[in-house]
Amino acid sequence: MEAEKESVVLLVEDDPGDQKLMRYALSQQDIKSHLEIVSTGEEALDYLERSKKDQDVHRPHLILLDLNMPGMGGKEFLRRVKRDPTMSDIPVVIVSTSDSATDIEDSYKLSAAGYIQKCPSPDELRRVVQKLVHYWFATTVLVKKTQETATSACQAK
Amino acid sequence: MDRYKAVVILLVEDDAADQKLTRQSLCANRIGNDLRAVASGEEALEYLQRSKQNEPDSPMPDLILLDLNMPGMGGKELLKALKEDPVLGAIPVVILTTSDSDRDVLDSFHLQAAGYIRKPGSLEGFQEVMRDLTDYWFVICRRVEHSRSAGKVEMSVS
Repeated sequence: MEAEKESVVLLVEDDPGDQKLMRYALSQQDIKSHLEIVSTGEEALDYLERSKKDQDVHRPHLILLDLNMPGMGGKEFLRRVKRDPTMSDIPVVIVSTSDSATDIEDSYKLSAAGYIQKCPSPDELRRVVQKLVHYWFATTVLVKKTQETATSACQAK
Repeated sequence: MDRYKAVVILLVEDDAADQKLTRQSLCANRIGNDLRAVASGEEALEYLQRSKQNEPDSPMPDLILLDLNMPGMGGKELLKALKEDPVLGAIPVVILTTSDSDRDVLDSFHLQAAGYIRKPGSLEGFQEVMRDLTDYWFVICRRVEHSRSAGKVEMSVS
């Protein structure tokens, strides 16, 4: 139930170590969020499909996306999300080890809403994620407002 | 070299007072920035056409701050045109508006806005918002490297 009040983040990341680091960094913030993790682009698409029908599968307010993953890569996933009008409004932020100019440019051309380079230090990642959550969950008005109004209307406390 | 690399922000805003507030708030920031302001969607497109031609007086912006309600071409129309352009489509566009209508928020994100900020009423509020914005886009996010080398080389030689 908590997730309904919080911002929901979907992390698409195949590396268990990086999953753990991101979970830690998000848990250390003053702005709380609910984190869902999937390991591949295919799983992420499946998650998003389920979130349309199943109320217990929370539609993410923000997607954090790794680029290099087995199977469908991050760019292909991004392309598909942005092509589908039922999910193209969800901001997708790239979180990748790659610092290649091509990856950065491709991602922005595919309408990524930011490109963050992975940092291996938990403390550094915590500071980076602090700026990320402040921008997305405090400064920016997200589409969630619309949905929360709709959800709270049908929820008798 | 770094001091020549001030980030370029294009502000598309018809209200002179809001232009001033944005400029003041950005100046209070640690991030060196070169703010270019235009007053309409049409002017923004003209500016960006010049950027595409590599004209040194119109550097390609790293970020666009876009008001929604403007006379002539509105913010959404400009956003749509930018995202359809193969070169300009890579520039992140953040909406900066007084509107908080659900429709405007949803439309903007569908048109691939990279953020939606309600204009705060006070200078303090503006500074806070601009700090969060520049921290995100210019401290933690990587940016597309635009070819501004011509101008840079000239400056470092002299």
